[in-house]
Parts: sequence; C-alpha cells; structure tokens
Amino acid sequence: MSIVEVHDLTVSYNGEAALYNVSFNIAKPLFLCIIGPNGAGKTTLIKALIGILKPIKGYVKVLGLDPSRDADVRRLIGYVPQRERINSSMPALVRDVVLMGCLSLVGPFRWFRKADMDSVLNAINIVGLRNLLNEPFSHLSVGQQQRVLIARALASNPKILMLDEPLSGVDATSQEIVISTIRRSVDNGVTAIMVTHDLNPVLDHIDALMLLNKTVIAYGSPREILREDLLVKTFLREVKILRIDNKHYVMGTDHHA
Amino acid sequence: MMVMLEILIYPFILRAFIACIITSIVSSVIGVYVVLRGLSTIGAAIAHSALAGAVIAIFLGFDPVVGAFTISILFALLLAYSGEKNRGRVDITIGVLFGFSAALAILFISLISAYTASAWRFLIGDVLGVSEWEVYVMSFFSIIILTVMYVFYKEFKYTTFDPEAAEALGLKVRFYSYLIVTLIALTAVICLKVVGSILTEVLLVAPAAAAYQFAHSIEKMKALSVVIAISSSTVGLTLSILLNISASATIGLMAVAIYFTSLILSTKRRKCKAFIEYSRVASRKSKI
Repeated sequence: MSIVEVHDLTVSYNGEAALYNVSFNIAKPLFLCIIGPNGAGKTTLIKALIGILKPIKGYVKVLGLDPSRDADVRRLIGYVPQRERINSSMPALVRDVVLMGCLSLVGPFRWFRKADMDSVLNAINIVGLRNLLNEPFSHLSVGQQQRVLIARALASNPKILMLDEPLSGVDATSQEIVISTIRRSVDNGVTAIMVTHDLNPVLDHIDALMLLNKTVIAYGSPREILREDLLVKTFLREVKILRIDNKHYVMGTDHHA
Repeated sequence: MMVMLEILIYPFILRAFIACIITSIVSSVIGVYVVLRGLSTIGAAIAHSALAGAVIAIFLGFDPVVGAFTISILFALLLAYSGEKNRGRVDITIGVLFGFSAALAILFISLISAYTASAWRFLIGDVLGVSEWEVYVMSFFSIIILTVMYVFYKEFKYTTFDPEAAEALGLKVRFYSYLIVTLIALTAVICLKVVGSILTEVLLVAPAAAAYQFAHSIEKMKALSVVIAISSSTVGLTLSILLNISASATIGLMAVAIYFTSLILSTKRRKCKAFIEYSRVASRKSKI
C-alpha cells in the first residue's frame, strides 16, 4: 500500500482549476519538497492531501484511505499551516498550542488526558523549547512559533507530516532546527511533505522534489530534476543553479507562494 | 454599606442585582469569543435584531422574549452564512442587516403607540423592572449557554485559534462558527432587558476586551472578563440607584471606563515588549 497516492487530481476554486491532472505516488517514507511560483497550487495540493479540499476529478489516497471522506486518516497526519493563518492575537500558552495536536486523538465531549500532556512534553522536547512551555505563544519569535507549530504536528505521533511554508520568515538558526527536526522524523519512518518558496536551506536534506505549476512539471530525486530548463518551465522566468563547493544553490525562485 | 443593605430589602432591587450578575457572567464569557473572533460588529447587529424581534412580538401580541429569540437567531445565522460566503466583505451584510433591523424596530414602535413604553424598555433597558419570571427565563437560558460553552470548550478554543489546523484535525469548524453566533444571539436577548439593545454590545465586548489586555491564556481571559463584567454591572447599578440615574447607562459607562483604564494599565503590552527585547539580547549574546 502506498503512503500517498494521487491520481489525475483536479481541484478548482470558483470554477477555475487551481490544480489539474496531478499524479504522483509515495511508496516509502521520504522527505518531499514542493516548489513552484505564486498561485502554482502548492497550498491547494497540501489541503487536498489533508482532505480539507475535495477534488472535482481524480482521487487522493493517504494510507489507502480518502482523507476528504475518512476522518480517521487525519489522525495519522500532522499539519503545519502557514503561520499567517493563525489567530496569533489569541492569548494561548505554548503548551495549549501543542496540546491542540492531540485533538484528533481525544474526540468530542472528552477532555485531554495525562497521556496527551506526556505527548506534548515529548513533542516540545523534540523542537528544543521545553523551557518555553508556559510562555505565551504571542511572545515567541517567528522561528520559535514555527517550532511550536511543528511540535503541535508531532504531538499526535503522525505517520505523515504536511508543512506549508514552515521556513517563511524564520531566522537561520530556527530554520536549521526545523529542517533537522523534520529530517529526524523522516529517518524514524515519518513521511514529510513540505511546501517552500526557498529551496536552498532544505536542498541537502530532502529525498524528493516536486516542481509544481498547476500541474506536476517534474517529480523525482533532486539530482534528477534540479535542472535549469525544468525550473524555467516551472517558474516561467530565468532561474539559475549555482554550484559552489559541491553544493547547489538555486537563484531566482525565492518568491512567496 | 448600610444603605446598600437597606435597598436590597426591596425585591425589585434584589432581582435587578441577580439579573445583572447573570447577564454579566454570560455576556462576558461569550464576549471572549466575540473579541477573539472579531465579531463585535456582528454582536451589535444581533442586539438590534433582538430589539426588532421584541417589538414585532409586542405588535403581534406575543411574548417579546419569544420574538427577540426568533429574530435574533435568524439574523445571526444569516450573518454567519453571509460571512462564510463573502469572506472579507461581511461588513456590507452587517451594515444592511443592522439598518434593516433598526428600521423594522422603529416601524413597529410607531405602530404600537399604545405600548411604546414596553418597546422603549428593550431599547434602553429596564433592569429595575425585571420580573421574577424573567429572572427564571434568564437563568434557564444562561445555564444552557454556559453548558454548551463548557461541553465544546476545546472545540471553540481551537477553532478560534487556528481554524485551518482544527479542520485538518477533524473538527467541524463551520458548525462551531454557527453555534457561536447562535449563542451570541441568545446572550443578546438575555442582555436586552438589563441594558437594552443599544448597550448590549458594550456588555459583550468591553469586559472581554479589557481582560484581553492582561490575560495570557483564554482561561484567564474568561475569568478576568467575568470579574470585570460583574464589577461594572453591580457598581453601575448601585450608583444608578444612589444617584437616581439610568441603570443601563451607568452600567455601560462603568464597563467602558474599565476598558479604557485597562488600555492604560495593560501589562500585556509591556511584558510582550520586555520579552521581545530580552529575546533579542539573548539571541545577540548566543551569536557572540
């Protein structure tokens, strides 16, 4: 059984196709990075994979189940949305935010148990913010907030992590921590699917890359598909790949999606 | 103090204090979500639709509370639906429905000239005229509202904080949005008799907005909001009795005064600034 199977996926907003004919398959745990220009449908794809958006054509299967119909599969997904979509003005302590990740395990009419608090402690330890557990979320720096949101996604011990722009606005130190946390989770058998507008910090850590512009332009290992012609086809403008000390740097993709 | 105890001997004054405390508890708890979800204008529109409902019921010969409940819940659901369909431009619908409900209220007040005094009570409030039956009705609906808020506590909290992640975690975000506006409508009807439709908005927003300046968790915000609301309504009512002035006006003015004081004394902003400064310094030191 595939971890993620997407076949001929088409999703539309107000009658306009945000994504069309998207097909790909993830058979074993890996770290996949999705890049593309503004409006390429990256967030739409993540939402379709979670089941928030329903396809008008094709299908999505996550661990063999349809996420838009089967709520059980959502318990196996840890989701990190774009930070801007969060009501950060709301007074909430860091532990409250991480505890939210256990919602799918608790269900309605029940309150959190001690085991859930243990999961919170474990998750916050992973991202190295145990000392900020009782701090207000709004007092944290952008990078710390992002790490807390990743801890929230990890709190339910997910099989799949889906992250929408987790590196956006994050300082270099926190970027390293975020990426190494995701990498460690993947090494422990979790599949991570991450949308980003800046490929460079993550390039050496990912197993697979998808170039997306409404449809899949290329999908494969970074070595195979990190080519200037494919990047130009994806971003529809000049994109350069620099090679310095055996490292690759992609120049010209850094535009927020 | 002796004067206070003396005036409490009168049953209508005792009922007024009980009504104030019930209203304060319910409005301040639901008010937390009104403030955090940015629904304060919706709260004002719903309060005016409750007035229209009450006046229409008087015109048709029904109990005004029944009319207020029916129309306010109808308008609340309509506003929630409109908010869902016209993301970002719900202000237009609120403006139109606000005007529509106010026009309806004025029209029916003019048609029931014999009962204008009854209608006027719902516009500006009449806490000293609250009957024993009305206290029972208020208590009954308050218990329902608070029970629903307790049962769905974590759902309300997390759909307010991060609706997208809440949906991904399997919560029915849409259902809870509709439920919240329905509870706001019920609360507006409870407030109607105490402070009237004009000042209901103040009770819904001011205590919670003041509590927001000091609280770092939603639990503390609720607790502080309740304390502020009870303080402003009981002190306001006492002053109105002692000075023989409008109760709803003094309650409203007390709540607003506490809100402006909270803005000046806000520890939250100071602590936030201090924490950010501390983080910057710590970050600089770690780089060195």
